[in-house]
Amino acid sequence: MITQVENPVLEIHDLTVSYDQNPVLWNVDLSLPSGKLVGILGPNGAGKSTLIKSIMGLIPPTSGYVRIFDKPLNDVRARISYVPQRESVDWNFPASVLDVVMMGTYGKLGLFRRPGKKEKDLAMQCLEQVGMTGFLKRQISELSGGQQQRVFIARALAQQADLYLMDEPFAGVDMATETAIFQLLKEMADSGKTVLVVHHDIHSAMNFFDWVIMLNLHLVASGPKELVITEDLLRKTYGGKLNLLTKVTDLIRNKDFNPLKS
Amino acid sequence: MEDFLYFFTFQDPSITWVVLGITLLGIGSAYVGTFSFLDKKALLGDAISHAVLPGICLGFILAGEKNPVYIVTGAFLSGALATFLSSWLRKNTKLSEDTIIATILSVFFGVGIVMLTGLQKSGNPEIAGLNSFIFGNAIGISESDLMIYGGLSLTIIMVLTLFLKEFRLMVFDPEYGKAIGFPMEAIRFLFNVLMILAVVIGIQAIGVVLMAALLITPGAAARFWTDRLHPLLILAASFSIVSGILGTYISFVIPQMPTGPWVVVFLSLIALLSFMFSPKSGIIFRYFSRKNYLRKTHKDHLMKALYKAREENKEGLSIEEIYELYPYQKVQINQSIKDLLKEGFIIKNQLFISLTSKGTSDAMRIVRLHRLWELYLNESMNIAPDHVHESAEQMEHLLTPELEAMLEKRLNFPTLDPHQETIPREKP
Ligand SMILES: Nc1ncnc2c1ncn2[C@@H]1O[C@H](COP(=O)(O)OP(=O)(O)OP(=O)(O)O)[C@@H](O)[C@H]1O
Ligand SMILES: [Mg+2]
Repeated sequence: MITQVENPVLEIHDLTVSYDQNPVLWNVDLSLPSGKLVGILGPNGAGKSTLIKSIMGLIPPTSGYVRIFDKPLNDVRARISYVPQRESVDWNFPASVLDVVMMGTYGKLGLFRRPGKKEKDLAMQCLEQVGMTGFLKRQISELSGGQQQRVFIARALAQQADLYLMDEPFAGVDMATETAIFQLLKEMADSGKTVLVVHHDIHSAMNFFDWVIMLNLHLVASGPKELVITEDLLRKTYGGKLNLLTKVTDLIRNKDFNPLKS
Repeated sequence: MEDFLYFFTFQDPSITWVVLGITLLGIGSAYVGTFSFLDKKALLGDAISHAVLPGICLGFILAGEKNPVYIVTGAFLSGALATFLSSWLRKNTKLSEDTIIATILSVFFGVGIVMLTGLQKSGNPEIAGLNSFIFGNAIGISESDLMIYGGLSLTIIMVLTLFLKEFRLMVFDPEYGKAIGFPMEAIRFLFNVLMILAVVIGIQAIGVVLMAALLITPGAAARFWTDRLHPLLILAASFSIVSGILGTYISFVIPQMPTGPWVVVFLSLIALLSFMFSPKSGIIFRYFSRKNYLRKTHKDHLMKALYKAREENKEGLSIEEIYELYPYQKVQINQSIKDLLKEGFIIKNQLFISLTSKGTSDAMRIVRLHRLWELYLNESMNIAPDHVHESAEQMEHLLTPELEAMLEKRLNFPTLDPHQETIPREKP
């Protein structure tokens, strides 16, 4: 069940991604319309983070390509914003909440230039949107997990992008805040931005997303929520082991070279 | 004393030069080192500083004398080779990082020592100066050396300042940096170059063996004092300057004394003091605040006992009665009595102790906090009345007036605690 669209914001063409020579994403082929709040669902280890990272060009694909706004990634980086999984950084780094959110403005500033008053105001505004104004000066290691996550969301907002890629932004975030931030993302989508969110809660996925991508090593589904969230497809995504695919992966891992690499 | 005045009044222009040089060197290496400390790459600095030795010898052989340009270039190249090798091995083998670093360190340093020994046997009279590269000799630096080392330090400081934002990103979240289109690999490369340069500028003054300490210790010591990057860098640089100058002074006063070990002694001293005295992580600070706290709890307990005696219509308690209430705590009780007498909370009439009016009101506050907290646990957290005492024993020493007001409001100014005892308040 894969719905392709005309003039996509994001086009992923036959993408295969491997770690070392161990493929974890197989032939993902999808396209997304603009102005939608898009959910990415799938079990642990399904390759959701890998998909996001390869869209951002952080992992080179084994084959296939990604085009964004009908251009190659490097031409449009300034228009894309990225929220990594919280565990990816060392929270003991000496920085305040404001320092981290200001990093969101670095992309537009470019090299050398330092953030000034304008950037600070923007950062403050984004902190307010995630309800973290009271923690402005707090050392980042002294935040709870959910609060750290909100700092990351604020940093992404400060990028003022057109396409947002968020890897589990709501992990550990309480319900009230999650709903408030979803509302915010929805407004952003309504104003024409596209927001991709890796998410684990199918219930709130039903409520908030317009479009859903289901992934489990290969693409199970991509399309409007009403068409995609069905019992059958959910079972295909979450149920059972993908026996064949896992066996093939093992086979390739044991080879001395990567047979998939062109 | 004469030496001290002579050194620190800078009458001798060559001393001024050396101090200026060591200051620049201190700032540069502390700057770079703090970043690599935050990046958890402290060991790499150690490997690089040992690895420059073969380059120094090679530079000496090629120049035939202690020519700073040859030596700096040689040191830089062999440091770069070591750095490159370590990252190549990390990428292309499954060896662990510390194995790689330990191997590179010992291989390069071993080769360096062999070359140095060979040179010493060759009988070249210039060779004497080369030994100072092992443990450093700041006083032996000539003016032309200083120009080179100082100039390189300045370059390091300027580049780091210019790229502060980029290096911050490199340490905190390099993947994000890559995602927003920053050339993170080039930035990492630039940082490695600065790191090697920082080692190279220190070899003459500090020596290859101990240079890593000058890189890492200032940042590590400063980290005890602050949670912000800018103060951290400034503090690290100051620590480094102070130890650098003191170390230089020692090798000025005592002939033949190498500078490096003394700089490291002073740096370690600063680190140790930071560890002990900084409020954040200092063990001394923690020891004293705990001791103060315990002293306060003993005083509070005595006041409470006196107040409860009052509730039973007794004027006060005799010392013997108090000892019986808190067995095995004679020393603490005597201390508390002494403290409270001084503070004017109690009066002692021969061996009989009673509260003053000031003491009564404070004792009442402690009892009030205790009972309020018991009631709060019982009412708002559904804890049974026979389980609330322990927690209240602790909280009565901690609750602030602000929290007291909140509790009162929350419980609507109650009159009885869960054990049906009166919650005492001042008469209006
Ligand atoms: N750096 C890596 N090196 C090798 N294999 C990796 C690496 N990162 C992930 N993998 C493997 O790739 C597969 C997909 O991982 P990925 O992190 O994309 O999953 P995910 O869907 O994001 O899971 P989660 O819900 O737990 O975040 C997993 O089987 C994992 O073991
Ligand atoms: Mg993931």
